[in-house]
Amino acid sequence: MSQPTVLYVEDNEYNRKIVRHLLSRTGYRLREAADGEAGLRMVADERPDLVLMDVQLPKMSGLDATRALRGDPSTADIPIIVVTSFALSGDDRRAMEAGATAYLAKPYSPRELLALIQKHLPETTRQEESR
Amino acid sequence: MDDVAARDNLSRGVEFLLTRTPLGVLVGWVARVRASVHTKLLVAFLVISVLFIAMAGVSLRTIVRTAAQSLKMHEAHERVEWSQEIDHALARQMHFTALALLVRDEASVARILRENNRFNSTLARLEAVGTPEERELIQQIRARQDDVMNAVADIANAIRDGRLDQAQADLLGRQERAYQEIEALVGRLVQLKNTQMLALKHSVEDSNFRSVVLTACFAALSIVLALLCGFVISWSCILPLRRAQEFLGAVGAGDFGATITVPNRDEFGAQAARMNQMSSELGRLIEEQRRAAAELRELNARLEQASRAKSEFLANMSHELRTPMNAILGFTEMMRDNLYGQVPPDLQEPLTDIQTNGRHLLGLINDVLDLSKIEAGRMELSLQEYLVPDLVDAVRVSLRSLAVERGLDLVTQVPPDLPTAYGDARRLTQCLMNLTGNALKFTKEGRVEIAVELDGDDLIYRVTDTGIGIAKEDLERVFDEFRQVDSTTIRDFAGTGLGLSITKKFIEMHGGRIWVDSEPGQGSTFHFAVPLRVEGTP
Repeated sequence: MSQPTVLYVEDNEYNRKIVRHLLSRTGYRLREAADGEAGLRMVADERPDLVLMDVQLPKMSGLDATRALRGDPSTADIPIIVVTSFALSGDDRRAMEAGATAYLAKPYSPRELLALIQKHLPETTRQEESR
Repeated sequence: MDDVAARDNLSRGVEFLLTRTPLGVLVGWVARVRASVHTKLLVAFLVISVLFIAMAGVSLRTIVRTAAQSLKMHEAHERVEWSQEIDHALARQMHFTALALLVRDEASVARILRENNRFNSTLARLEAVGTPEERELIQQIRARQDDVMNAVADIANAIRDGRLDQAQADLLGRQERAYQEIEALVGRLVQLKNTQMLALKHSVEDSNFRSVVLTACFAALSIVLALLCGFVISWSCILPLRRAQEFLGAVGAGDFGATITVPNRDEFGAQAARMNQMSSELGRLIEEQRRAAAELRELNARLEQASRAKSEFLANMSHELRTPMNAILGFTEMMRDNLYGQVPPDLQEPLTDIQTNGRHLLGLINDVLDLSKIEAGRMELSLQEYLVPDLVDAVRVSLRSLAVERGLDLVTQVPPDLPTAYGDARRLTQCLMNLTGNALKFTKEGRVEIAVELDGDDLIYRVTDTGIGIAKEDLERVFDEFRQVDSTTIRDFAGTGLGLSITKKFIEMHGGRIWVDSEPGQGSTFHFAVPLRVEGTP
């Protein structure tokens, strides 16, 4: 269990693929979910070290899912990076209000995303990574 | 105050007369007469004139009758005088007869005869104008007088013959008796005449009294009729005028379509008909206008709805467009970062082109989204404290490479002591970036300067270039949507044409304003002023 696990909740196949390709060259393990409810189930099953959450998702929106995770004590501490649809739309404010650790506006630069993931992974996993 | 009260009383009196008495009916009747006001007034004045002429006639008749009575009185006086004259003549006859006997002189007898002639002529005058009763009396007198004359003749003969005793006896006997009889008859005549005169005097008095009463009654009647005439004719004109006043008041107060009814069939009736026509036309127009306004409102609502639907569609479309853009730009960047292995040199340029054009397309999408959100009324400012130098620096750093690429100097001038500002820093950055980006795009050589100054409570941002400038006729339109100075510039300087219009809207949302000074060939200066601390400052 040396690899930190990142969960990406996103309904668009191509966007998931970008992150898959991006993380394949790193030491992170990626788990993917295509809607909010699946995302919550996967958090329960996999206990990821960080969650990347899109805002517009089928079944349950990314903001609702974020609130649900923050409401559950067992998952309240997991860092969540919310991927907003547009930096100037007001989603950023709503994301922070819902309990996001950080937000990133679409379209994002893969480079920036990777930097943000590295920044917000818990200390323990980073120590493990460095070892 | 008293004047007003008096006028009120007067109008209440008139009101009473018009509503509670047949005068009102009469006024209505006169109003309904199918004749012009001119004719009615003429008739009224003629009636009054005729009344006064008639009154003058009655007075004249009274005067004439009085004169005739006076004449009769005069005649009666005369006749009484005549009767008295007969009386005197008789007395003188008797006196002269006695004298003749005394002096035994024939001349005295001649005097008796002269008196007799005078007596007879007066008697004849009386007889000519006398009543049948008087004539009979006069006949008797005359018969007695003849007897007297015979006696006188006998006495005269007796005197001539010296038969004085005989004469004396005759005088005392026949003549004296006859005279007494005549005297009695004349006395009756005088009495008769006196009685007649008295009766005449009473009749004249009665007649005069009747004349005065009649004249007074006629005068009173004339005045009443004249007043009536004046009242009726004037109120038949005043009433429609009052109604017109009320009507015009109502119309003036906005009651279009109000109606006026007057009984008049004269000029006032025609005027009322015109007024009704005007009012109904006004009512029709106002109704038409209301309907048009309602239609416009409905149309406006529909248009607003359509506009909102359009804006929502655009917002959704922008979102849908951005998702594939994320993939395109993401994969391109990862390829350029050699994530998929070293990129062959001949693929470097096309990859850069994909990235540049992708970013440009993203800019267009963002502009469309911004504008549609603003138009849909869903754009909100995110107010926070910011430092002006940081904002200007962010713009300078972002556009530095573009300035270098175009060979232009990009300089900034910000006073170091500006207080902390409050507003939507990201939107203001976007605005300044937009203006500066435009300045760089439209300038071929020279410099672009960003300057900020504090003017009272307003921050004034200024972007000055040495570019192609804007023609005067285009100055007002530069902030319109989808507008660039001319279509050829679009090819040279890629852009949506939405930048300035979005900038203007953001600045207006801050409670500020934007304007431009420019001359073709001399460059342009875009200014915008926003409050240092916009409303909602904590």
